[in-house]
Amino acid sequence: MLPDWVEPVARYMLEEGLVGTLKIAAIALAGSVLVGITLGTLLTIKFLPLRSVIRLYIEVWRGLPILVTIFIIFFMLPAVSQQLEFDALTASAIGLILWGSAQVAEATRGAVQSIPREQHEAASALGFGWIGRHSFVIMPQALRRLLPPLVSLLVNIIQNTTIAQVIGATELLEAGERQSERLVAPEPIGLGEIHAFEIYAGVMVVFFLISFPLTRLAAVLEKRLV
Amino acid sequence: MIFALAATFFTDLSSFVSDNFDELLAGLKRTLVVSAIAIAGAFFIGLILGAARAHRIPVVSQLAAIYVEVIRNTPILVQIFFLYFGLPQVGVRLDAFTVAWLAVTIWGGAFNTENFRAGFEAVPHRYREAGLALGFSRIATFLNVTLPIGGRIALPSSINTYISVLKNTSLLYVIAYPELTTTALEIQALTLETVETFTVLAVTYLTLVWTMSALIRLLESRLALPEERS
Repeated sequence: MLPDWVEPVARYMLEEGLVGTLKIAAIALAGSVLVGITLGTLLTIKFLPLRSVIRLYIEVWRGLPILVTIFIIFFMLPAVSQQLEFDALTASAIGLILWGSAQVAEATRGAVQSIPREQHEAASALGFGWIGRHSFVIMPQALRRLLPPLVSLLVNIIQNTTIAQVIGATELLEAGERQSERLVAPEPIGLGEIHAFEIYAGVMVVFFLISFPLTRLAAVLEKRLV
Repeated sequence: MIFALAATFFTDLSSFVSDNFDELLAGLKRTLVVSAIAIAGAFFIGLILGAARAHRIPVVSQLAAIYVEVIRNTPILVQIFFLYFGLPQVGVRLDAFTVAWLAVTIWGGAFNTENFRAGFEAVPHRYREAGLALGFSRIATFLNVTLPIGGRIALPSSINTYISVLKNTSLLYVIAYPELTTTALEIQALTLETVETFTVLAVTYLTLVWTMSALIRLLESRLALPEERS
């Protein structure tokens, strides 16, 4: 049988922590895919100023450690303007979107450019404009090639949501840390016992159970679709 | 107007840097030292375990696979927490510097094992067979045939891992190891010069990362296999 302290700790970590992790991950994934696919497609247009601006965006947000990006959003933006003040969850989600969209943009550029010229020409001949051609003809084909990197991105986003812990957003690692600190406190709040080992091992197990099937899926998709 | 603002900002920035130069330099040095240890460690772990994986050496290969999957499928921040806050409970007390280099080395080693495994497995079988047929021992065949070819195939992905190792040292902020990010946040807390602090921090990281990626491209063209040279 498990000791008595485990059940409330596990419940808090799953109900508050894991839910927070999934919430940040879902927002970050949706944002990264939307922004990334748009920027990646625009990157294939041969217009130098536009391409340089998107290139700079990609290189900056891919180059910075995500922690530094999140610090900039959470601490620096409010110092620039009061309107740019975000709560911890939003700030982390924005940081992850900046990083994730840079990854998606780079992958999208490759996927769009891998579609043969004839597809563009055929779509143009049928009367599609640039937007229609890309949304109805090119992107559906490019998406097949984008799927494996997107699944890998999802794994990375889920793992990187833990960085939100540093600015105190409620996610799995933060929930674990709160519980671990609570248990150290004397009764009736805690137990006066240290259980950091079991708690952080538990956090690792939960992340492993989520990530492992997804990395397998990415590997299978890679073999099937390429 | 804009030029005047930019000019004041640059004067602010340069006085910020000269005021805190010693601390920033010490932080940067620690970031570079920890990264260098971890990159060297990750190189050797990747080389040895990658070779064991590619040659399916019994027991070692399976243990390496478990190591790789556990590290790749759990966040490095949780690994740092586990090493620094979890292990003392079972009597293993590591100081911040040990956790700092150990955590990023273990992480980089796992990713590099995969990079090298893929590189070694991409070496055509007939090359190894030719080596063995010429009377080279298995180790000599590895050192003279598989390593020079597979190592070059693995080079781009392994350097990307080294860049990630460098970026991941910023996470050592959570154990208050005084590398660049921790140092910058300490300076920010003391001086309240928020914009200056984060500008300097971001520019420093971008300079390091962009220099490393430029080096990759140089190295890649230098070390590319003859048939891939353009």
